[in-house]
Amino acid sequence: MKLPRGSLAVLGFVLIWAFLILFILFPLTRIFYDAITNEAGQFTLGHFHDFFTDSFYLRSFWRSMVLGVAAVLTTSVIGIAVAFLIVRYEFPYRKTFSYLTMLPMILPPLVGVLGFVFILGRAGTVNILLMDWFGLETPVNFMYGMHGVLLVETVHLFPLMTLSILDALAKVDPSLEEAAQGIGASGWHRFWTITLPLTTPGYISGALLVFIWTFADFITPLVVGVQDLLAPQAYLNIMQFVDRRIFRMGIVISALLVVLAILFVIAAREYVAIKDYSSLAYSRVERRRLGPVKRWLAVGLLMLLMIVCVIPQVGVLLAAVGRGWALTPFPVHYTWEFFHAVSIETPKFIINSFVYAGLALILCLVIGVPMAWIMTRTRAPGRNTMDALTTLILAIPGTAIGIAYIRAFNFPLPFIDAPLTGMWIILPLVLAVRRLPYTVRGSYSSLLLVHPSMEEAAANVGATKLRTFRDITVPLVWKGILVGALFSFIMSIQEASATIFLTLGGWEMIPFGIFTFYIAGSHSQAAALGVILIVVCALSLLVVNRIAGTRVGGLFG
Amino acid sequence: MVRRMKTLALAFASMSLAAGLAVAQQIEDELTLITPVAKTLTDPTLADFAKFAKEKWNITLKTSALAAGTPVAYGRILEWKGRPEVDIFWGGESALFDKLAEQKLLARLDIPKAALDAIPTTIGKPKPIYLKDPKGFWTGTVLEPYGLVYHPKVLARLGVPEPKDWDDLLHPKLKGHVAQCAPSRSSSSHATYEVILQRDGDDKGWEWLKRLGANTGIFTARSRDVPSVVARGEFAAGFAVPSYMAFEDRLAGFELKFVAPKTAWITPEPIAVLAGAKHPKAAMAFIEYLLSERGQRVAMERGVFPITPKFRVQGAPGSRAEMAVEFTGGIRSYFDIDVVNIYDDDKAQGRYEKVNEQFRKDIESAWETLKK
Repeated sequence: MKLPRGSLAVLGFVLIWAFLILFILFPLTRIFYDAITNEAGQFTLGHFHDFFTDSFYLRSFWRSMVLGVAAVLTTSVIGIAVAFLIVRYEFPYRKTFSYLTMLPMILPPLVGVLGFVFILGRAGTVNILLMDWFGLETPVNFMYGMHGVLLVETVHLFPLMTLSILDALAKVDPSLEEAAQGIGASGWHRFWTITLPLTTPGYISGALLVFIWTFADFITPLVVGVQDLLAPQAYLNIMQFVDRRIFRMGIVISALLVVLAILFVIAAREYVAIKDYSSLAYSRVERRRLGPVKRWLAVGLLMLLMIVCVIPQVGVLLAAVGRGWALTPFPVHYTWEFFHAVSIETPKFIINSFVYAGLALILCLVIGVPMAWIMTRTRAPGRNTMDALTTLILAIPGTAIGIAYIRAFNFPLPFIDAPLTGMWIILPLVLAVRRLPYTVRGSYSSLLLVHPSMEEAAANVGATKLRTFRDITVPLVWKGILVGALFSFIMSIQEASATIFLTLGGWEMIPFGIFTFYIAGSHSQAAALGVILIVVCALSLLVVNRIAGTRVGGLFG
Repeated sequence: MVRRMKTLALAFASMSLAAGLAVAQQIEDELTLITPVAKTLTDPTLADFAKFAKEKWNITLKTSALAAGTPVAYGRILEWKGRPEVDIFWGGESALFDKLAEQKLLARLDIPKAALDAIPTTIGKPKPIYLKDPKGFWTGTVLEPYGLVYHPKVLARLGVPEPKDWDDLLHPKLKGHVAQCAPSRSSSSHATYEVILQRDGDDKGWEWLKRLGANTGIFTARSRDVPSVVARGEFAAGFAVPSYMAFEDRLAGFELKFVAPKTAWITPEPIAVLAGAKHPKAAMAFIEYLLSERGQRVAMERGVFPITPKFRVQGAPGSRAEMAVEFTGGIRSYFDIDVVNIYDDDKAQGRYEKVNEQFRKDIESAWETLKK
């Protein structure tokens, strides 16, 4: 039997929706169900009442908001400055910097804060040097407290802001600014009245992501001893299963994080929905050449920023090769044993990471590219909902997704009689779901660039559907799809928050390994795995950068 | 004729018994644990057990340990509802094992009686510490005290004498330099909070714990972080640390020191096979191995003590075992000395959540004020 073409497309459409409903909507409803029922399964709002009448939780809530706003401010200052320098001005090593300033983004969870503590902790390199050389008596507290969290988040997340602004800036038609200049508007005036409003959408989407990532990060605060924030509370409460009441509170806080993420996305919906890429063909920007002094000033500032940014990398690298490193500025004994232990002795971390992230990448392509195609080329119902869903996934904290999965898929499946949570396939699945938006957005923007008329033209001169697709569509869109998919891969291989609750023995990926080594006190092994992961991601990012330059901001917003 | 029949039947019975034994002896080729015990103890024992399995049954055994804090491990076992993803639960408080047995989530131990009989039922006075389950669902594996750690160099710089007992952690110059883990997050911390509360009585005990809170510079996310942050010199001293966790940092080359005060609680690190485990024979064989001299020796090199009076921590001069003896204060076996135990586990389990609640109210929420 031959299916008519239309029904094949319908089947694909139905399958995609089935996937989205089964693996995103269903598990999320499960945690809401948990949040509003008690152990006996009866409806109650008591958990929320408990939360909002508990001064400790309320303080955690408030402090999380403050931290999120603070991170938006710090990343804005740095992110915008870097973006402007790179887009608008010509100076030595500009291209190198445009790659380097993206690097902090690929700091795996936990690795960044660990690296910082090795260098800036109370017994870190800087304090030891201060004490040894300048007779400082009590170490300076750079890390332990909210300021330490803010430092780590700022360094980690400012590239998100840079990328979002770069993307927006590159699309501002320079003629608008020239026109403003022509009628005598001064530099600042021009910035406030023309440039800023035009870059606002990019900025808002960047800011939203910075806020939510900071809000949802539980590992960084825990390492520097800050527990009165929402995400660490959710994590700590869930991690202790014994006291069912506290456990339930953890789920309630997770549900609350999801609600907040949804609210934030709704509040900024005009800016974070997939943008109209009408001017995606980036305008050619004339870069201003900086004078000799300013030129080196720019290089100097960026160098300074880079030095702060590589602190964590240097820290983990030293910890990965140093044995028994304590109270000396640098390790005294050097060894390869930790790298050996985490790669050759137990290769499972690296193997699992590539297998699962690779499978996630394939899933992202299989689901994400057709989704992008549906959104660009069809008038199928529910297109906007698809867009909203992909945006939402970006905003939902990983821990909430992990918990949702473990609660929702812990029943024996028909026929196989084993729960999904007992099968390793759940890891690539959750990774694919979490990182789907990058592939969708990468594909979406490049599909928009190919005007259907080009395909029609090919068809008119007698090309078959397949040939049109091969000769016209693919050459025009592969870059965007590849960049999006690579981002999905990078973010998958770094994912820890969603997988931490789902991993069983034998499935450990690198971030989980980092986490278990860290909690087993083996910081050097954790650092060695961290270095390996950083290298893998840096190489992937280099490929992205080569293909797409810095134009990947649209993936996030 | 009848006699011949009898003989035949006997012969047949003994043959089938022998065959049965041979089958029983063959174990599965996979074994997984869920455990709060750190990798540094689980990895070497699992690795040596795999070697042992190769020698004895010529089996290539695939082992893995799922690391999880006691509460998490307990919670996941509950969530599995008798269809566990792992075979063995190792470590934590024996009271939790009793709770699991009550819910029929544990399989009764099926190992030679002699191995279990070598373990005394209890140790310590005035309160006994149970070393095995009278009902036979779990058994202790090693003995290990929850003590305190410190970094001599950091203390010297602060001008604080090296601590000998819990009370020394309240030294005014240690303000902001003590590390501990919340009792709601860590079973070793919870047990040691109870030690203080049962030593001093509730009112004085909480006063003491609040003063410790005032000296605390960090509440770590996990108990294992306490010795690590002290080993690296980030903090000067740490509260409620299992001996072997501290010893691992010593083995890793850090200058960390450990003291088990007289009243320190000693845990038997219980172990049990989960009901419905996929590899029950391998699991039972692993427990039998752990209790054997070979298993106990591997563990003893890691800073824990034998669970039976049959063995003592001993090795060639300069060996790991001797290092461990020196590190843990010269003791070779807890059966050599009079163990003081004031910790009543029934009392502790009976008010587990109440203590956590009070900690949260009086210490965790009030930490900023306490520090002033």
